[in-house]
Amino acid sequence: MTTLQLGAVGGEGFQITPTLVDFNLRLLFSGSGDMNATSVVNEYLKLVHEEAQRLTLAQVSCDFKQLTFMNSSCFKSFVVWIDTVKNSEIRYQIAFLTNPNLPWQRRSLEALRRLATNLVTIETIA
Amino acid sequence: MTNLDDAPALVSLTLSFRPLATQIGPLRTLLSDLCKPHVADPDGLSRLLLAAHELLENIVKYSVGEVAEFHLRLEARASGLLVRMRTKNRAAPERMADARWRLDALAAARDPIAHYDELIRESAGRRDVSGLGLARIPAETEMALYYATEQDWLILTAEGRASERVSG
Repeated sequence: MTTLQLGAVGGEGFQITPTLVDFNLRLLFSGSGDMNATSVVNEYLKLVHEEAQRLTLAQVSCDFKQLTFMNSSCFKSFVVWIDTVKNSEIRYQIAFLTNPNLPWQRRSLEALRRLATNLVTIETIA
Repeated sequence: MTNLDDAPALVSLTLSFRPLATQIGPLRTLLSDLCKPHVADPDGLSRLLLAAHELLENIVKYSVGEVAEFHLRLEARASGLLVRMRTKNRAAPERMADARWRLDALAAARDPIAHYDELIRESAGRRDVSGLGLARIPAETEMALYYATEQDWLILTAEGRASERVSG
């Protein structure tokens, strides 16, 4: 049986909560990804990559429906993560699930998609 | 640079403060509350707040000394809603040199989005500072970004159209 060895992190103002369904890891981001969240995001995405490799996941989905903002330092953590996946022997897809009522998401995430168009997809969720 | 000072402002805010990271979230909320009634376009408000956030974080991360300044002016024109934000802070010599280098490269770039994409690719292999915050402003908010220096003071100005329409 596949068991996820990755817990929820964060505190007041910012949280990441993982769930595993089949071979798809879903990360629910909520709150504001600002200066206080930078180190949390940075360290967490390293653990996500280790876990994705260990479980040979097909996809990691980042659900941003409840993420009100992401600063450039948190954004940079995603750049490093995507680059790491891109250069790994065992790759997995990365999907960003966006909130249409938060217009910054689509614009910011397009830049991440352009970094690895074969790995990154962006979907809008209601 | 557009002269915004000729017409009355819908919002004009000037802060002189000792910058702290914990102030950025509440300041962004304040700016949202002040500007939202006037900005008809949610995307325009989102772009304005993103630029404000990156400018404020830039002050918090890199200013030295006790005091920094933040100014926002929102103004209705026939062409739409114009916004100008300006920050002023003292910077250490190495930070000033780095900022000038980044901002000169940004000014020289023909396409701010292509320049931003290039910076992103370059930053992917680095594990140090982001270096993306200022370039994000023209790439994601469609605002122009200028700088000036006065001795060890760095002055950044972001300005552009927040919306084609004005609420109310």
